[in-house]
Amino acid sequence: MRFLALLWLLPFLCWAEPAVVIRATELKKEPATDAATVAELAENAALDAGERKGGWTRVRTPGGSEGWVKMLLLRYGAPGTAKAGDTGLSQMFNVARTGTSGTTVTTGVRGLDAEQISNAHPNVAELGKMASFAATKEASSGFAKRAKLQARQVDYPAP
Amino acid sequence: MRFLFLPLALVLTPAHAQFNLNLDRILDTVKNVSKATREIDEKEEIAIGRDMAARLLGAAPLVADARLQRYVNNVGRWLASQTERAELPWQFGVLDAPQLNAFAVPGGTIFVTRGLLAKMRNEAELAGVLSHEIAHVLKKHHLKAIQKGAQVSLAGDAFSTALSDSRSEARAKLISFGTEMYSRGLDKSDELEADRLGVVIAARGGYDAYGLPAVLQTLQAMNAEDSAVALMFKTHPAPAERLDALGEKMQPTLDAYSNQPQLPERFTVEAKAAR
Repeated sequence: MRFLALLWLLPFLCWAEPAVVIRATELKKEPATDAATVAELAENAALDAGERKGGWTRVRTPGGSEGWVKMLLLRYGAPGTAKAGDTGLSQMFNVARTGTSGTTVTTGVRGLDAEQISNAHPNVAELGKMASFAATKEASSGFAKRAKLQARQVDYPAP
Repeated sequence: MRFLFLPLALVLTPAHAQFNLNLDRILDTVKNVSKATREIDEKEEIAIGRDMAARLLGAAPLVADARLQRYVNNVGRWLASQTERAELPWQFGVLDAPQLNAFAVPGGTIFVTRGLLAKMRNEAELAGVLSHEIAHVLKKHHLKAIQKGAQVSLAGDAFSTALSDSRSEARAKLISFGTEMYSRGLDKSDELEADRLGVVIAARGGYDAYGLPAVLQTLQAMNAEDSAVALMFKTHPAPAERLDALGEKMQPTLDAYSNQPQLPERFTVEAKAAR
């Protein structure tokens, strides 16, 4: 399970991810359009990406300049290289559930790949259990208020 | 439908009376086809959805953690309350599966997998994913696909039977077809629409509107060959394409609501069981 523990830490590791910008853009000193420009970035410029703040992601150039770019302009993965391989998650969960090697379990393992969905039999007991966890409109309203979430009027975009 | 009326018109013409076709039978067929194309009402939508949800729960049970399940229900119910179908019997479940995925079931049942939750950083990201799924239910994307498919696979009375008799063979067929939708996927335009509406619904709920794009970016960073994302990638447009589409259509909305809460602390405590 050491791998899962590492996954949990991922969001807190700064500069963890190589990324590129999909268009030429400005590297900003602060996460704001009107902030000073640190550098001009070319299309497909390689960067290391860090945390996000609103619509901005903190990045560092190979030359060592730091600043912020619009998060929607970033795509992860270094240019021309393959992304990291199989996380092996599925296999690990099989091991966790059966206590034996995941590879030896080929039938009877539940999960949500296409075949498992097609072959599933209804589980009415779980359906009942799910209903017991449902929240009322009023309860969820109190839950939102406790975190100071405020409902807003926002229009759907034109189709 | 036009092709059905043409032979009927021929039969009704006296000059063709010598064909001596069984008019009653043809009229029956026409009547039954019109039944198959009738709208599924809300009560039926909810009942079909329950059957489909039971099937998904047969593939993967709920994560056995009441606190996590109640938490996701609270977030989801709050978001659903901000929509035009606020009065549906909304329920939310975290499925105990390593694959990264989320499912919208007609009638207001939404699932997210433990695998996807484990990749999220805060409540705004969870809200973004749930809002995308809520949008599928609002727009009846799966229901419409099921109805379209039923016209082909359930001829005549069978569709009516499937809706009215929950123990019928036709019903089992309809539910099988409906459940298969989750391994075949919806139209790309449905997914992109759910992304746009999802951003709006999360913003209405008071969350940082960038929650959904943030999850898409996490997915984009993963290898498409990874078995944990294989089905989700097969049934959805590529994350990079979804991010492009949001950038094109939703940038003003995203930026207007980017400073709303993300709630990483509450998420870390309440969703601990998914880690």
